[in-house]
Amino acid sequence: MESVFLTINGKRIEAKSGMTVLEAARKAGIYIPTLCYDEDLEPYGACRLCVVEIENMRGLPTSCTTPVTDGMVVHTETPAVTEVRRMALELLIADHPADCLTCIKNQNCDLQKVAAYLGITDSLFTRSLPRHEVDTSNPFFSFDRNKCILCAKCVRTCDEITGVGAIDLINRGYQTQVATFGNRPLLESICKSCGECMIRCPTGALAPKQPAQVEYEVKTTCPYCGVGCQMYLGVRKNQIVSVRGDRENQVNKGRLCVKGRFGIAEFVHSKDRLTTPLVRRNGKLMEATWDEALDAVVAGLRKYTGKTAVIASAKCTNEENYIFQKFARAVLGTHSVDHCARLCHAPTVAGLAQTFGSGAMTNPISEISGAACIFAIGTNTTEAHPIIGWEIKKAVRKGAKLIVANPREIDLVRDSEIWLQYHPGTDVPLIMGMCRIIVDECLEDREFIRQRCENYDAFKESLEKFNIDFVANVTGVPQEKIVEAARCIATVRPASIIYAMGITQHTHGTDNVIALANLAMLTGNVGKTSSGVNPLRGQNNVQGACDMGALPNVYTGYQPVTSPEIREKFEKAWGVPLPDKPGLPLTEMINAAHRGELQAVYLVGENPALSDPDLNHATEALRNLKFLVVQDIFMSETAQMADVVLPAASFAEKDGTFTNTERRIQRVRKAIDPPGQAKPDWRITCQIARRMGAKGFDFEDPAQIMLEVARLTPSYSGITYEKLENICPQWPCPAPEHPGTPILHAEKFTRGKGQFLPLEYRPPMESADAEYPLILTTGRTIFHFHTGTMTRRVKGLNIIRSSELVEINPLDAEQLGIHDGEMVRVISRRGEVTARARVTENSPAGVIFMTFHFTESPANKLTINELDPVAKIPEYKVSAVRIEKLA
Amino acid sequence: MDFNQRREIARAEWDTFEKTRVPRILIGAATCGQAAGANEVIKAIDDFLKESGIEAIMTRVGCIGMCYAEPLMDIVKPGMPRICYGNVTPQKAIEIIKSYLINNDPRRDLAMGTLGEATIEGIPRLFDLPMLKPQIRIVLRNCGLIDPENINHYIARDGYNGFERALKMSPDEVIQEIKRSGLRGRGGAGFSTGTKWELCRKSPGNIKYVICNADEGDPGAFMNRSLLESDPHSVLEGILIGAYAIGATEGYIYVRAEYPLAIVRLKNAIQQMREYGLLGKNILGSSFSFDLHIKEGAGAFVCGEETALMASIEGLRGMPRPRPPFPAQAGLWGKPTNINNVESWASAAVIMQKGAVWFASFGSEKSKGTKTFALVGKVKRTGLIEIPLGMPLSTIIYEIGGGILNDKPFKAVQTGGPSGGCIPRELLNLPVDYESLAQAGAIIGSGGMVVMDEDTCMVDVARYFLTFTQSESCGKCVMCRLGTKQMLDILENICQGKGKMEDLDLLYNLCLQVKAGSLCGLGQTAPNPVLTTLRYFRHEYEEHIKKHHCRAAVCKGIVSAPCSHTCPANIDVPRYIRFILDGKPDAALAVIREKIPFPAVCGMVCIHPCETKCRRGQLDEPIAIRALKRFASEHDNGLWKKGLKICPPSGKKVAVIGSGPAGLTAAYFLALKGHLVTVYEALPVPGGMMRVGIPDYRLPKDILMKDVQEIEKLGVEIRLNSTVTSPENLLQAGYDAVFLATGAHKGVKLGIPGEDSPGVIDCVSFLRNVNLGEQVKVGKKVAVVGGGNAAIDSARTALRLGAKEVTILYRRTEEEMPAEPEEIEQALKEGVRIEYLVSPVSIKHRENLQLECIKMKLGEMDSSWRRRPEPVKESNFILPFDTVIVAIGQQPEVPEKSSLEIDKVTHTLKADPDTLATGIKGLFAGGDAVTGPASVIEAIAAGRQAAISIDLYLGGTGDITQILAPPEKVLPPIEESGEQRRPAMPMLPIKQRKNNFNPVELGYTVRKAKEEARRCLRCDLESED
Repeated sequence: MESVFLTINGKRIEAKSGMTVLEAARKAGIYIPTLCYDEDLEPYGACRLCVVEIENMRGLPTSCTTPVTDGMVVHTETPAVTEVRRMALELLIADHPADCLTCIKNQNCDLQKVAAYLGITDSLFTRSLPRHEVDTSNPFFSFDRNKCILCAKCVRTCDEITGVGAIDLINRGYQTQVATFGNRPLLESICKSCGECMIRCPTGALAPKQPAQVEYEVKTTCPYCGVGCQMYLGVRKNQIVSVRGDRENQVNKGRLCVKGRFGIAEFVHSKDRLTTPLVRRNGKLMEATWDEALDAVVAGLRKYTGKTAVIASAKCTNEENYIFQKFARAVLGTHSVDHCARLCHAPTVAGLAQTFGSGAMTNPISEISGAACIFAIGTNTTEAHPIIGWEIKKAVRKGAKLIVANPREIDLVRDSEIWLQYHPGTDVPLIMGMCRIIVDECLEDREFIRQRCENYDAFKESLEKFNIDFVANVTGVPQEKIVEAARCIATVRPASIIYAMGITQHTHGTDNVIALANLAMLTGNVGKTSSGVNPLRGQNNVQGACDMGALPNVYTGYQPVTSPEIREKFEKAWGVPLPDKPGLPLTEMINAAHRGELQAVYLVGENPALSDPDLNHATEALRNLKFLVVQDIFMSETAQMADVVLPAASFAEKDGTFTNTERRIQRVRKAIDPPGQAKPDWRITCQIARRMGAKGFDFEDPAQIMLEVARLTPSYSGITYEKLENICPQWPCPAPEHPGTPILHAEKFTRGKGQFLPLEYRPPMESADAEYPLILTTGRTIFHFHTGTMTRRVKGLNIIRSSELVEINPLDAEQLGIHDGEMVRVISRRGEVTARARVTENSPAGVIFMTFHFTESPANKLTINELDPVAKIPEYKVSAVRIEKLA
Repeated sequence: MDFNQRREIARAEWDTFEKTRVPRILIGAATCGQAAGANEVIKAIDDFLKESGIEAIMTRVGCIGMCYAEPLMDIVKPGMPRICYGNVTPQKAIEIIKSYLINNDPRRDLAMGTLGEATIEGIPRLFDLPMLKPQIRIVLRNCGLIDPENINHYIARDGYNGFERALKMSPDEVIQEIKRSGLRGRGGAGFSTGTKWELCRKSPGNIKYVICNADEGDPGAFMNRSLLESDPHSVLEGILIGAYAIGATEGYIYVRAEYPLAIVRLKNAIQQMREYGLLGKNILGSSFSFDLHIKEGAGAFVCGEETALMASIEGLRGMPRPRPPFPAQAGLWGKPTNINNVESWASAAVIMQKGAVWFASFGSEKSKGTKTFALVGKVKRTGLIEIPLGMPLSTIIYEIGGGILNDKPFKAVQTGGPSGGCIPRELLNLPVDYESLAQAGAIIGSGGMVVMDEDTCMVDVARYFLTFTQSESCGKCVMCRLGTKQMLDILENICQGKGKMEDLDLLYNLCLQVKAGSLCGLGQTAPNPVLTTLRYFRHEYEEHIKKHHCRAAVCKGIVSAPCSHTCPANIDVPRYIRFILDGKPDAALAVIREKIPFPAVCGMVCIHPCETKCRRGQLDEPIAIRALKRFASEHDNGLWKKGLKICPPSGKKVAVIGSGPAGLTAAYFLALKGHLVTVYEALPVPGGMMRVGIPDYRLPKDILMKDVQEIEKLGVEIRLNSTVTSPENLLQAGYDAVFLATGAHKGVKLGIPGEDSPGVIDCVSFLRNVNLGEQVKVGKKVAVVGGGNAAIDSARTALRLGAKEVTILYRRTEEEMPAEPEEIEQALKEGVRIEYLVSPVSIKHRENLQLECIKMKLGEMDSSWRRRPEPVKESNFILPFDTVIVAIGQQPEVPEKSSLEIDKVTHTLKADPDTLATGIKGLFAGGDAVTGPASVIEAIAAGRQAAISIDLYLGGTGDITQILAPPEKVLPPIEESGEQRRPAMPMLPIKQRKNNFNPVELGYTVRKAKEEARRCLRCDLESED
């Protein structure tokens, strides 16, 4: 952007072309009052306070909307300007309640500030009386239209930032107001309660229900999903009293979703927190001292040496996961360490490793909004990864073509150019069918394929089977739509492929991932800005847990356990001999436990009793264990079965790092002390290790652990806590001065050349039949997280979404005589659950949808325990069920 | 088929249409025509044609613009010119058709005019009618003449020639041509259309849009609708030309959904364009491709604003956004966009058809061409008109519009709808062009022109427009959303009599800031109606605030019944009318007496402003309030005195100078307040002008004296033959206060040679001499110069004194004559002749008086807001008379020895209009001496005010109100009686009026009075529900 020079109030100022006069003035330290301007939002020009005089321009232009030009002469404080500003403010004040002292925004209110600046203490006009009911329906914030000055920041935020569009302006003239569709209370609208509107509200119109007086703030990383938003926890008397997004952070730029903003303090401070160690005595878990508990653990693990496994945690820090896997490998002598990545992105790791050489998101989140085409398949992004969902919507706002492939009419479908509503489990034919069309129509990126890829011919040959008739038939998507989508992704560049569990949680999950990698290579969409294959990781640190080697086949940084050199390196570093065969993956641990082959498990921060498929089977397996140690912050369903329960510190109570879905390593900082006797997980595990006589577990703090990680892990070599204070790089970050790697495979693929792989269609393990005529697919809602251990403890989230709602298409519902809101029983070959039905066209006929957040209606009692042969991931997304109306 | 072939076919078709072989019946069936009943007429004609077997073709045409005469029917018989008939009903239509098509009688009596070259004797040419003659019809050239659903009609009349011509030129040449024409935006802003096109053409980008703004939303405006309904292709051709010039490939017509017929006609026309290869790819074989869409707007006024309109097309809430960027840079979907109003597009088409030079030959220096207006409101001929820019407002209102409905005084015209301003009668000669209107504080706007008469309250008008803009504000910007609301609140308060004077300053400042600070044109112009009414009608605002008075008697909050509100003395008219209906005329009189001491006088001679605002008048005829007052005064049994309270003596002495209505009224009320009042009268008789100015046949002396005696009974001393030369002396002589009410008893002179000749007399002296019983002789031939009531009184008096021939010479026309119409009517009946447009130049005395006169003609409006009489050169002529009475005005005669301030022009005394206080402490002045010659009731009102002010001055409460009538009984509700006129006033037969001064009006009988009282609508009770 070129520089321009303008004069403001006689002062010569440099600005960039494209800037507004207001921005230029602010940059130069010249104050211009405004109430409707927000740097994140498009110029609006409604409050009329930022009017200025500009020579050779008519009237009083608003500085927030007027772009700077070279030689412009601006006056910001002329009598005419002041007159208009004063009048505007007096009009606003006349229409605003005079209850400043009792207003939650007192001294924090922009209206007050501008009034003070203009020296206005009263209005010439008759003050209006409150005329609106206050909407208190939302559990987290209230909406008092009497205090609303109609700057529309909330409306614009909901549109421009989140793309939700829950609110808009209704009526005209003085009757204009902010309202939801049909002017229903907020809670009955499509509002996602993210509170982005609230934080931008200049007055007390949208205000938190619980005011916060903060002593100090600590910057840390959100513990929910894999997006990795950074936030400030506001602390007062060792209590978290506020949460605000970090505007400087590149990932969320200050934005937070409902869980991050409103769903933290309550679970951290829950009375359900484990505060003392518990040891099972006479069949009952009894309080114990740390010594007693640790002794019990050591004894139990020793007793079953050789038949033990460690289940690590995607919720714990990198440092902790490093300790867990080191504990498994170096202390217990087993590679049987795994974690819930097995249940989500194991196929990503496997599939992308085969094709690209490394299995992680290729491009940064911030590039999504720059894509010209986005292919979002198997991801309900706005629910599961809200901030990334907003980025997708932002891209669409900027003109990107969005292709959504999803059996359900998810929120993003509203923004899409093309919606491919395909049958669950037909991903491979759909994607390969698109590849076939691209090849048939000669739309492939030949240059890219020739230079950067290999094995193209074999792949091309395998496309033969995926002719359009076959593909349309199997997927249920009309031919023209598949053609349209194929052409779109091949011609509208750059195209970004985004996927999540809808791709991976299949018995053909690895094939699905490979298919997408094929598609990306075919269209030349790898290694470039705003392109790539972008798996969205589910847990806050699932990427980091994988990076740290909490996997049965690799050490840190995906260094294979089977490689002699690597093994040697670790044996040397840790001073112990290490096995050369991979251990058991999580899903097979359960099966092994079921068979009695696995007898003791040290499990940290996971809840397989609710998260694993075929829960009855999983629970039986856990019961079958001879010795189970569970280390958690809550008494989870799994912990209740444990022999020893160890109280852990939550994310807010410890230091460390999380690695988000885009490979960005970010700090977690201790804000408060843990409750009772709870301790950080790394410290507990180190204590156990030491008690078992192991060396190399004498860490003072997580920073020291990271030093060891960096030493042993090429992709983390450049990471130190000092560095993380300034930048949060994306790995690979091989050296201290290295800035990180935003885009993978830029020059060449990690494995050298990108490998095309031929594929075949394998149908899901179960399909609908006469007995189980419906397909159950599972997913998330924005208001809860995973097995609900955190979010179900947040009152407000439970108010917004209190129980499971089985989504069923009206056609199916009618056949079964089910009405919206009625209780139903869902039955599969493996079990049954009850829940309320939601009759909605969001689910296609023949498919029902459930989340897995609610322990009262555990969807995973129904899911099938069939695994992908490569990645060993269960097929959560396709189970045959039937549904009955509850009498 | 190429376009030339199509044109040939079209011309042939039009030819057969014009030179029909079968009779054609054409019905104006635009929305306006349909609303007036065109559909019923069409059905009736259809049925009739089928029944009767008469061969005729019926066609629906658009609107020719004569709204006042709708429905319109034209008939064309082979070989005959087209005849237009107005105000057609089904019966009338069939009658005409029968008569003309069967009996060959074109019913000249019902025909309005003929169209075309040929004429029919006895029927004027339609375009020679006063409504159409001053118009120049360019944009409307086809309206009402062609079938709007037939593209061939349009093509035959040079349609699409302009586009064809444009295609042969380069886009830049087309733009130059439009620039040369001087065309400016007809949506009202007046920006050069050619320049606008040029900006958009030069804006970088491959995709450009053109938009036709057909979101006509001003209340009272329908120009665009009529044009779209009557000649859609003229607009579409303009769009096509513009798109070609700008380089646009797509266009939108944003038309409000409330215009269903316009939408139908547009859709039909667009379809025809496609069929004719005028839309789509490679239009007429050129490389120019263009397509057009219709976007129906949901009727938000703000969507007429271009950026809001574009937001609406994009599917967003219709809210404006700030500029820059301008639409020409980044408009619809962010692409360069040119947006013009319907009329601008239509003008572009005709410019390309006929040339820029031709177009620019119409209009004024800076405002070229013609502009259509919707002329509505209180004019006789409402309609859709087209005038060359620069035409004076008066021509539009008085010639095209035919003047004000019911000949009431014109008050103001609102141009440009709610964004425009009110132009007062002072500016009637204003040329209607962009600059002049802007200077006057108004705008041309899209072309609404709402004419208002004296029954319109200007504060209420401002309030009305603010109600509109306030509710149509999009609500986005603070200034408009809240500013208009506060403005409306203030205006509503004022209309309800709750205003404060400081509100006016606040309102004014608010207007300025809202204008300066609003985001879009809506807010920037919304204050215009307030600003212009404040500028030109501030006195009305002040009357509302200070006196709770609404001169138009419309503001509900302060007006209970218009009659009593309009009465200068605020007599509770509806209440006394109800007493009359209830058979209690004595109680009715008591009601009247609560406010005035001259009920009998007012019953005989009041100019009754009350009747001018009577709501019954809107139905049929106003209540005969004066006649009912007279009836009540004839039934005086003293009831009113029973309740009369006289305050104990205050010990204060008041002198009143002049025993006319003002003086005696003040004396009466001051006496009631306990003050000792002495009245000084210069003449030998009391009563002032009531006694010496009004002839006996209108006001018998005994009736006046009865009212005067009632005042004397209160202890008021009237000293006759007592001229006061210095009111200050009276104050020094021990009077605590003095009220000066000496009236206007000096006749105004003509100021022409020979005026002092014997036989020339001024009307004041003439009438005074007669009334004082002196021997006054008049010759056989008498001339009265003047047009007021005094002229009529003089003329009728002269007749009664034995004159054989009395002629009134008046320099204007009957329309401008200030005398009461009923007085003129009686004078004419009695044989008085009136010569209009005549003015005396000199008088020569030979054996008789040789009055040299000159003929006059009416010119521009003068300061009296009537058209100024101007002498016609060399039209002098001489009339012989024996007596010439000069009745052109009266002046006050002020006391010789007084330091009172006097107006040098009017010779009137200066006094505070509210309190009547003069510059001298304790001295008050009122009545004709202050106001110049006015009416009895106004003088009485001044007397009341003087009593209030003097009582306050003397330490009293100033409260002169007394309830004299007994409480009212609840009367049965008003019977719905339909139209019913007032009973005629019984009159003395003409023959019995000669040589005597017997009263002419004889008064109502009890039955008639009750009958008339029954017609009262009891407006005063309305506000209580």
